[in-house]
Amino acid sequence: MNKWIKRHARPFGLVCVSLGVFLLLILVTLPANSVSAAPLAEEQNLTDEDCLVCHQKEGMTTDIGGQPVPLTINQEKFSASVHGEEKVACVDCHTNITDFPHPEVTASSPRDFSLEMYPTCQQCHTEQYQKVFDSVHQTARAAGNMNAAVCTDCHNPHTQTRLTNKDTGELLFEAKQAIPQTCAKCHSTIYDTYKESVHGSALVEEGNQDVPTCIDCHGVHNIGDPTTNTFRNSTPYLCANCHTDATIMDKYGISTNVLNTYVSDFHGTTVKMFEENFPDQPTNKPVCTDCHGIHGITKVDDPNAGIAFKKNLLIKCQQCHPDATTETFTDAWLSHYQPSPQVFPLVYYVNLFYKIFIPAVIGGMIFYILTDIYRRFIVPRLRGKGASHK
Amino acid sequence: MSAKANSYQRFPLARRIEHLAMLLSFTTLALTGLPQKFPTASLSVAFVNLIGGIESLRVIHHTAAIVMMLGTVWHLIVFGYMSYVRRTRLSMLPSLQDARDGIQALLYNLGFAKTFPQMGRYTFEEKMEYWAFVWGTAVMVVTGFMMWNPLTTVKLLPGEFIPAAKAAHGGEAVLAVLAIIIWHMYGVHIKSSNKSMFTGKMSEQDMLHEHPLELADIKAGIAERPVEPVALRKRQQVYLPIAAVITIVMLGGLYGFVNAEKTALTTTERQIPTIVVYVPQTSTPAPTQTPTSLPTASPTPLPTEPGTDSTPSAVTSSLTWDNAIGAIFQTQCSACHGSNATAGLNLTTYADAMQGGKSGAVILPGDGATSLLVIVQQSGGHLGQLTPEELAQVIEWINADALEK
Repeated sequence: MNKWIKRHARPFGLVCVSLGVFLLLILVTLPANSVSAAPLAEEQNLTDEDCLVCHQKEGMTTDIGGQPVPLTINQEKFSASVHGEEKVACVDCHTNITDFPHPEVTASSPRDFSLEMYPTCQQCHTEQYQKVFDSVHQTARAAGNMNAAVCTDCHNPHTQTRLTNKDTGELLFEAKQAIPQTCAKCHSTIYDTYKESVHGSALVEEGNQDVPTCIDCHGVHNIGDPTTNTFRNSTPYLCANCHTDATIMDKYGISTNVLNTYVSDFHGTTVKMFEENFPDQPTNKPVCTDCHGIHGITKVDDPNAGIAFKKNLLIKCQQCHPDATTETFTDAWLSHYQPSPQVFPLVYYVNLFYKIFIPAVIGGMIFYILTDIYRRFIVPRLRGKGASHK
Repeated sequence: MSAKANSYQRFPLARRIEHLAMLLSFTTLALTGLPQKFPTASLSVAFVNLIGGIESLRVIHHTAAIVMMLGTVWHLIVFGYMSYVRRTRLSMLPSLQDARDGIQALLYNLGFAKTFPQMGRYTFEEKMEYWAFVWGTAVMVVTGFMMWNPLTTVKLLPGEFIPAAKAAHGGEAVLAVLAIIIWHMYGVHIKSSNKSMFTGKMSEQDMLHEHPLELADIKAGIAERPVEPVALRKRQQVYLPIAAVITIVMLGGLYGFVNAEKTALTTTERQIPTIVVYVPQTSTPAPTQTPTSLPTASPTPLPTEPGTDSTPSAVTSSLTWDNAIGAIFQTQCSACHGSNATAGLNLTTYADAMQGGKSGAVILPGDGATSLLVIVQQSGGHLGQLTPEELAQVIEWINADALEK
């Protein structure tokens, strides 16, 4: 600066005047600068009321990457939501918003914005957030499928109502009943199949609390890949969770012997033992879903598809035994029945025969052997003792 | 002279090999079969683990079954040769004498008979075991066939025979294993150590105890029927071709047994159901709300066509800051452009509003179209977005010189 003065203002008086003006200018401008800088530096604690001044307006939208994004928050719905109930503030999640104008949105699309936003959920929901790391959705997203669900796709943070009982942690029935529709947002055709099934129709039409929804089989948050061998091989135990539970099954007159009878029959024995050794290897033996269906499970006595009817069951048999052409072949499988004089009598009487024949034969053998041991080994010893006494 | 010194040939080598083959195949079948009958037992699971899985176990079980069936074929051919060609006594055939021997042995053991029965080449105990084995093998082969070839079976029999065959196969297996463990073990290993099936020989003393009638026959030279060489050759010429045909038929049957059908064991590739997983209900995962107030706005084209109202001072209006505009700004703008004067703009009072903000004046009286406030609002997306009606009023007010009163 001194050089500048020397070069441009040689007369000393002029230098003094210039310097004075310069200092004066600084004095005048300094306070002005500090005031205008103040709002930038100042941390503003925005309250929900502040946000709602704008964000409760109907029809408020913004534009991200050429697509409209709604910005309106329905205050009533938010208040009724679990976040509203728990007094979670807007800026608790929208942590980057401290002021207006808001920081510029850098996301290239609304989806991109969601993907940028959802990690905010882990602030409170750490466990669920981390479980998702093991989920099929996370795997799909890691593979580049950006449509794979993140937290907010299933749980709209502005409207999500309470899902579990606050004290017991049990899933509320209203929440359970809504699960299939939530998954249907992306898996709509599966939902269409499910809602016609014995499970889905009971849930949707009758409000039945016992039937499984998506998460009972697929899990929640850490939803596994259901197309793996491991998942398939474990299917019998998955179904057995409910189907061996007499407190549920007795209400509907459904047998709880389905797992026992499956494991003791050809297919089940193989699958059970195979699963013990090679849980992740493919087996061509059937599991529950191969005959009963997956999402479209029907009642076995359904006249159109029920596999209690041999013609329907034969179709299932033919999936693996294409040469099976007669309905009598279906009787090779005991259909989860315990043989009795009424049902599968031949099997019942064969079992009965051996139940009597084996003890009779082996008992006779043991009896003869005992007499032989007595005569051959014990009697001489007794006699020998007697002899020594003489 | 000593009885110990003399020993007699009891089983020729071929019979001993046959026994060994049966011993090995039977043991293998039992070890690999029982875990399948009791699949939930922890011992079964451990054993299957050791073998390398249920599929390996099945392969071993089937292989052992083939060995046993080959042994059975051999046994039948040898039986034919001995009975027809050599005219050997059919000493294994059961008779009433065996029943009498059994009863006498039992009575003797219990002390009701004075002597133990004297028996020939095969005791009643040995015959019982042999015929039990014949019965058991027959049951196992027939029921095994049904399980191995269920599709062929149901062509002849009702489907229920297959699970019944499985029940019989398992029941018979338990019976056979218990019989071997209890009867055979006691009879040849505990009662007295009888190694003749491995050495081929039996001492005179043991012969005297266990097969006195045979020993007597041997000593008398009538144990084996004399065979005339000419007759022998003649019968061989008859039997051997027949035996060859029977062998081929039986082996063919065995081949058919093993290969009649495939799909019961190595089924077709599992058909994986194809389910289209991702079928969203809406085209974007986050459904967008269409703004509801814009289309229902008044038909006045004012906000989008600013040029029509751009003539300064030519317009009069009843709107003033005090009667309308101040209130609009109060409700819509004051959150930011109130006392905290975001961007320097404070719209609380008329004077403040007219003064403008950091970017200068935002209201140019008489010129709504170029007023910054109108430009910002018309471009949309402002956080404090005026409704179209409100904006129209503001423009009208500015065009009419933006009067306070």
